[in-house]
Amino acid sequence: MEWIGLLNYALFMGIFIGIYALLALGLNIQWGFAGLFNAGIAGFFAVGAYTSAILTSAPADGRIGGYDLPFVIGWIAAMVAAAAIAWPIGKICLRFRSDYLAIATIGVAEIIRLVIKSEETLTNSARGIAGLPRPFGEWPYVESQAAFLVLVAAIVLVVYLLVERQFNSPWGRMMRAIRDNELAARAMGKDVEYRRLEAFIFGAAIMGLGGALFAHFNRSITPEAIDPMVATFLVWIMLILGGSGNNRGAILGAAVVWTIWSVSEIATDQLPHEYAVKAKYIRLFLIGLLLQLVLRFRSEGLLPEPLRGDQGNSGIDRERSVQS
Amino acid sequence: MKTKLLAVTAGLLTATMLASAPAKADVKIGLIGGVSGPIAAMAPAMIDAARLAITHVNDQGGILDGETLVGVVGDSACNPQGGTDAATKAVNIEGVLAIVGPHCSGAVLAATGSVTVPAGVVVVTPSGTSPEISNIADNDTVFRTVPSDDYQGRALARTLRERGYDKVAVAYINNDYGTGLANAFRGEFEAQGGEIAGFAAHEDGKASYRSNLAELASGGADTLVLFDYGDGTGLTILRQALENGFFEKFVGGDGMKSDAPINELGAENLATFVASAPVGEKSASLDTFNALFKEAGGDPDAIFVTTSYDAAFLAALALEKAGGDKAGVAAALREVSNGEGEPIGPGEWSKAKELIAAGTAIDYKGAAGDHNFDANGDVPGTFALFEVGADGFEVITEMK
Repeated sequence: MEWIGLLNYALFMGIFIGIYALLALGLNIQWGFAGLFNAGIAGFFAVGAYTSAILTSAPADGRIGGYDLPFVIGWIAAMVAAAAIAWPIGKICLRFRSDYLAIATIGVAEIIRLVIKSEETLTNSARGIAGLPRPFGEWPYVESQAAFLVLVAAIVLVVYLLVERQFNSPWGRMMRAIRDNELAARAMGKDVEYRRLEAFIFGAAIMGLGGALFAHFNRSITPEAIDPMVATFLVWIMLILGGSGNNRGAILGAAVVWTIWSVSEIATDQLPHEYAVKAKYIRLFLIGLLLQLVLRFRSEGLLPEPLRGDQGNSGIDRERSVQS
Repeated sequence: MKTKLLAVTAGLLTATMLASAPAKADVKIGLIGGVSGPIAAMAPAMIDAARLAITHVNDQGGILDGETLVGVVGDSACNPQGGTDAATKAVNIEGVLAIVGPHCSGAVLAATGSVTVPAGVVVVTPSGTSPEISNIADNDTVFRTVPSDDYQGRALARTLRERGYDKVAVAYINNDYGTGLANAFRGEFEAQGGEIAGFAAHEDGKASYRSNLAELASGGADTLVLFDYGDGTGLTILRQALENGFFEKFVGGDGMKSDAPINELGAENLATFVASAPVGEKSASLDTFNALFKEAGGDPDAIFVTTSYDAAFLAALALEKAGGDKAGVAAALREVSNGEGEPIGPGEWSKAKELIAAGTAIDYKGAAGDHNFDANGDVPGTFALFEVGADGFEVITEMK
């Protein structure tokens, strides 16, 4: 094993952590700050990934798209498309509360997945779209990975700063007020439905961006990538573990969970060959165990929601919101 | 808290990395498969078959200067996330010189696009059948030992036209297998002057497909072409089509060539049913492999075990030929299996090693076929059309 190999692996993990951090940040806007239980992350992830794929791939027979546009346009369009899909969904589903909303969003994500899997002319159905351009893709392996990581890290930083700024503004304070006590917020004259829709769309756009980054990193997108296990529930685990309501927590959660997910396989590979295949499942067990331990001993997450001046006594609320 | 956590993570990382420092004398290849995920039931047998090839190499003198060939198992979970993760670890941490896998087409596309093509590592997939894999801009590093769905679909279309089928309806299961077959079939069938009177995908696992069948039959075709699995949804569709008389004749892909329809529906009811399937069935190589795999405790009838064995054995031959040079593996892979040279069968490692050392050209004749790769790194499958006879499926004709 050479240091260059380790470096490459670290670069790869950094890119994946960045992509998942975007998804976790998007979810943090919806759940951490607006209290919307969105269990359909995979749907918005998919819309973003496929929008960008359709716009930036080379023309192909039998499906629309293949406009060969630069990836930047694809990424912006991915955010717009995810937001545009989120609008009618939010308009209908956000009238549901907590667990009902979760069921509705799971259903919506499955609908999106099945449409993508079946729609030949739009998404090339089950075969997916391949041959996407990758930023810095022509560079040699290590340089290309490093450049992509820099790009992803820059995007995560910009998104983090913008979201953080938004949370500390009056808008963020209002969102927390709606989350913690809807009736009081309504009595203060806040338009609760409209504000929730805002948060839902805002989060969905960032998830769409994460999907677009993922598709271009792999140069392909197939329906297998939008499996709820890896595109929805893994993100939830990251946010809960990192600390919902805290943007740095969302990023840290993505880093910790992905590192454990990925590195634990290297550890299980040290077992004798007879067990190595069976041991792959230890990864799933480890993530579950970690979540249990965090919920039991540190239910507010690794980095809890910062106590702000306006909600010094809301510790109990936070605990409840994490456990519900 | 944060620093403590980072320290713990870093510690874990370092510990595992120290632990995984390889012994100098090992030559590694990656065996990346869908250990967890949707094909978890199929993957262990495929990995066992690939391991058998590695065992043969090590039992018969090892690779290069008697070094040990080691197969590093990675879990692609049958999705792009797992595929890239496993491939990155195999290439960078383990330092593999070639990869057998990943098993699922989506994982192959992602792992090649982001890891192995930039890193210049050869990938031989034993089960990625999507036609998209042919189109990867791969610098000639992506190969497969299983035919693309395109080949079978086209061959079946041509054969049916030759046998006088004019107007058919097509039903296919909605996954990459069914979609790939059905589209290739449709293109070729129409190009040959046939008419497709109905064309529809269906989801698996429903109780009734009568409405789907009624709609397909409304086009006026008397033949149903069914791309599905004979021990699953395909059986249900076949039964309901027979019971209700929607169609008179039935044609299946390789997934339908299963004993389940014969056992369930009776051979007497399947007189008008034909199915296409790959034939490696009569080759001496396949008999050899079956005997060897059975001896090692495996089930030779399990799906994709022959292609897995061939992929691993070919990767080992190419490594030997290239002298362990990663950059030369792709060219060597074509050389050891281009149809010219001394034939080598499964398990004949020591013979191959001697011939390579002597500079003689060799040609691997695999359990699943001859594996003469075309420009895309694909293998043309050899298929035959089967009908149901008194003792199960019988060959009617070879398909070209």
